[in-house]
Amino acid sequence: MAEARYLYCIVEGNEEITLGNIGIEDSSVYTISYQDVCAVVHNCLPEPYKSENQEKVKIWLTTHAKVVEVAWERFGTILPLRFDTIIKGEEGVLPDENVKKWLRDDYENLRQKLAKLKDRAEFGVQVFWDPKIISEGLIGTNPEIKKLSEEIKSKSRGLAYMYKQKLENLLKKDMEKEADRYFKDFYEQIRRCVDQIKVEKTKKLEEDKQMLLNLSCLLFKGKSKILGEELEKISHLKGFFVRFTGPWPPYSFV
Amino acid sequence: MEPSRDTHATLVDLLDRILDKGLVINADIIISVAGIPLIGVNLRAALAGMETMLKYGVMQAWDEKSRAWEREHRKKNVLSLVEGEEIVLKMYGSYYYSKGIYNAWKPGYFYLTNQKLILYRQDFNEITFQIPLEEIKALVTREEAHFVKEKKKQVLCLIDKQDQVHRLSAVEINQLKDAIEQKLVTMGLSLESSPVLPEFDKGPIDFLAEGEEVTHRGEKVWYLVPASGIQQETWRPGRLYLTNKRLCWWYDFDKKLIFDVPVDRIVSVNTEMRKTSGLDSKKEKVLDILYEVNLTKRTASFTGEEIDEWAEALNRIISGKIGEETETCPQCGKLAPAKELLEEGCSSCGWVSPVRDRKSHRVKTLT
Repeated sequence: MAEARYLYCIVEGNEEITLGNIGIEDSSVYTISYQDVCAVVHNCLPEPYKSENQEKVKIWLTTHAKVVEVAWERFGTILPLRFDTIIKGEEGVLPDENVKKWLRDDYENLRQKLAKLKDRAEFGVQVFWDPKIISEGLIGTNPEIKKLSEEIKSKSRGLAYMYKQKLENLLKKDMEKEADRYFKDFYEQIRRCVDQIKVEKTKKLEEDKQMLLNLSCLLFKGKSKILGEELEKISHLKGFFVRFTGPWPPYSFV
Repeated sequence: MEPSRDTHATLVDLLDRILDKGLVINADIIISVAGIPLIGVNLRAALAGMETMLKYGVMQAWDEKSRAWEREHRKKNVLSLVEGEEIVLKMYGSYYYSKGIYNAWKPGYFYLTNQKLILYRQDFNEITFQIPLEEIKALVTREEAHFVKEKKKQVLCLIDKQDQVHRLSAVEINQLKDAIEQKLVTMGLSLESSPVLPEFDKGPIDFLAEGEEVTHRGEKVWYLVPASGIQQETWRPGRLYLTNKRLCWWYDFDKKLIFDVPVDRIVSVNTEMRKTSGLDSKKEKVLDILYEVNLTKRTASFTGEEIDEWAEALNRIISGKIGEETETCPQCGKLAPAKELLEEGCSSCGWVSPVRDRKSHRVKTLT
């Protein structure tokens, strides 16, 4: 029946064990080992999991995450795989053998990656600012902007509109400069506290908050205290907010 | 500051990681998962729920504003009623408007007041149709063929005191009818109980020659109008009639017969599934009729409802099995069974049906 193996992660260890029926759609999760690396898998059909039903997909995804989590706790060092990674069998080759073959072929590469991730965890750091508060601060400090915003009061409606446009452009440029400056500062600050760092794309969020910085950080498990302290400082700056998430399995560093 | 992983937002973070990150294996033993990124995007949009809604908050406000503007400006057109006039019923519907070259169902709202029945088109502030209730002589509903799929349209025919017929259509045609009737009863008026619906738009009856009778009719039959001038051949909707003498096709738009051939000129009939439109690849059953005029053979193609029945009816004629009715010999006028006349010819004057004549010719040339 089952002609393929769904892969959750690669772990360090050589025991062939089962982790129980904790997999996607209650399938039994177990390990396939080659020397001192194992693949955490379940038996599945040789076709990807896909569905239009978002609730269903959501459950699959969270289950995937949970299995990776369990394996992470059990084995300590892991390489999480992307959702829906499935190794199939081939003619005359059982899927288990194919998994082993892949572990053997990729052994060196996997070992290296595992070594880099040993005892480490991933943390997400996102810094936001409130553009309103920041721009208010800027109007006070930039003399040109200050001058313009004074003059605007005595102008007719039409002219005032032109002034306002000019003012907004100036302010936008200043904001960009500020964003650059803060980005560099924060990045430096954070980089010093972590083992590895990755800059992720910023995302659009709520209207009153802009994401300035989106980082994935790799550090030793349980060593997030120093990073936490740095972030604390940033979150105390006026108009800034920090989101600190984790520890995650090191998805971003494989 | 302590890291956390239990909020809604962190779930989005996590899913980002599982879908976009994580080790990717590049090997041919991997099953391809092309559909996955898409799932990811949708799912993220759904999960982002709150955030996304806020993100589109601006849009929402804009949407609200434009809707409000629209509502307000729409309100400006209001049906004006005379004093003491009250609306009893309002219903969406349409009125068959026919003036000059303009023929169409005009949609709007029917307003039944205590005095009149009105079709009002708000957008144009136009009263398309109105009639004082006491002018209504009778109401009849009937089904009419519709050129959309196999649907029949329920039409309410309103006959006024001048015996003019107005065709109305509404969402709930019977409800409208009942409401009008009730209103009339309260007004002490009564409708003609079993009105005779004057024949109108029964299509083309006047083309019939004396003694000619329609034996088959198709209210929704398309004809492939042959090319003429710059006009390419095109399918047009109309009605197909088979009489005891002719096969004719009436073109609704031009209101005239465009195709007209005596039944004895029909040589053969065939049906075939084929494409009738360049736009879609759907095949339709087409009836091809081979007929002969002035010694040249031509084909006419029809599609539409009950094509098989048409083919059958025409085949019956060709094979001369019109039935056991009697027919007069076209040459001497002697009465004889139709079948006999067609198959064997007239026993008194020797007239022979051209169909049979041709058949025997064919036999001769073959032997």
